[in-house]
Amino acid sequence: MNINEFEDSLTQMTKPEVNQLKHEDMLAKEMIKAKDRSVVSIWWLAPPFYILGMLLIKALFNPEGNFFNYLVELVFFQKYLAISLFYLIPGILICINSWSIWKIYFIAGRPQSIRFIKSVWLNVLIILLALILLLL
Amino acid sequence: MLSIVSESALLHKIEKDPASFAELFHLYYKPIFGYIFRRIGDFDTATDVAIETFTKIFQHIRYFEDRGISIKVWIYRIASNEVNQYFRAKKKHNKLFERLDTNQDFRHYIEDDRARLEAELQKHHQYLSILEQVKTLPVKYQEVIALRYFEGKENKEIAEILNLNEGTLKSLLSRGLEKLRLKCNPI
Repeated sequence: MNINEFEDSLTQMTKPEVNQLKHEDMLAKEMIKAKDRSVVSIWWLAPPFYILGMLLIKALFNPEGNFFNYLVELVFFQKYLAISLFYLIPGILICINSWSIWKIYFIAGRPQSIRFIKSVWLNVLIILLALILLLL
Repeated sequence: MLSIVSESALLHKIEKDPASFAELFHLYYKPIFGYIFRRIGDFDTATDVAIETFTKIFQHIRYFEDRGISIKVWIYRIASNEVNQYFRAKKKHNKLFERLDTNQDFRHYIEDDRARLEAELQKHHQYLSILEQVKTLPVKYQEVIALRYFEGKENKEIAEILNLNEGTLKSLLSRGLEKLRLKCNPI
């Protein structure tokens, strides 16, 4: 069979058709119900910023207080808590949000910069806040 | 399928109310499921990949931007990528599918659909033997052959779906077709 005959046979062959799918309606409902169960939430940053806020207020209202001394004390006396709040949470959030931005960029078909920034501004904000915590 | 005006109206509606996604889902689920089913030739895997495809579409529809491609092309592009990923990694089981699989009604519907589509598959012997050979080709040939000869799409639309220029597509098609011919009719 030459290439033209082969191509004709492929074009003319019958293929399975999908005319009815009983699971379609239920799937549509469930998919909409399951919307956005993402764990990539800005609220994960609330505990470390709450602690920082408390330390800042303590430093402001105590005439001899120093914010950075309080921070060092916290790291010294609450080692695991400090590592979780100031390294683990921001680190994980930076990774998840960077991955999310990359995925959105490709799935959205490489959108224009302004439209893209509008779409991912929350992810960028989370990364910036997490960076502040990490660099502190 | 949707015109450009109704496409943007529907997108606007989904942006305001995510439940309107159901309209888009019902428009495209059957044709996309058909495309995935004809590429994979297995009901359970096709269902899994179709659910994964529409989960991705639902999660990312608000980022869709009209840059010369229609929603239909974008949806085919995602479906094609998901099928390719399946062939590369044999990754299976979308979480939603796993959760739904525990629901009696859903399982009952799935069993009905499976029985009907498996019977439908067995009616097309030539297609089944060609599909077996297509699956042995590299993924880049599989997708062009499936879109051209299983879905009957024109080169222009295939080039849009795969984000290729028409020249590259023609050369991929011709090389893929020759490889397939040799597999089907070994000299």
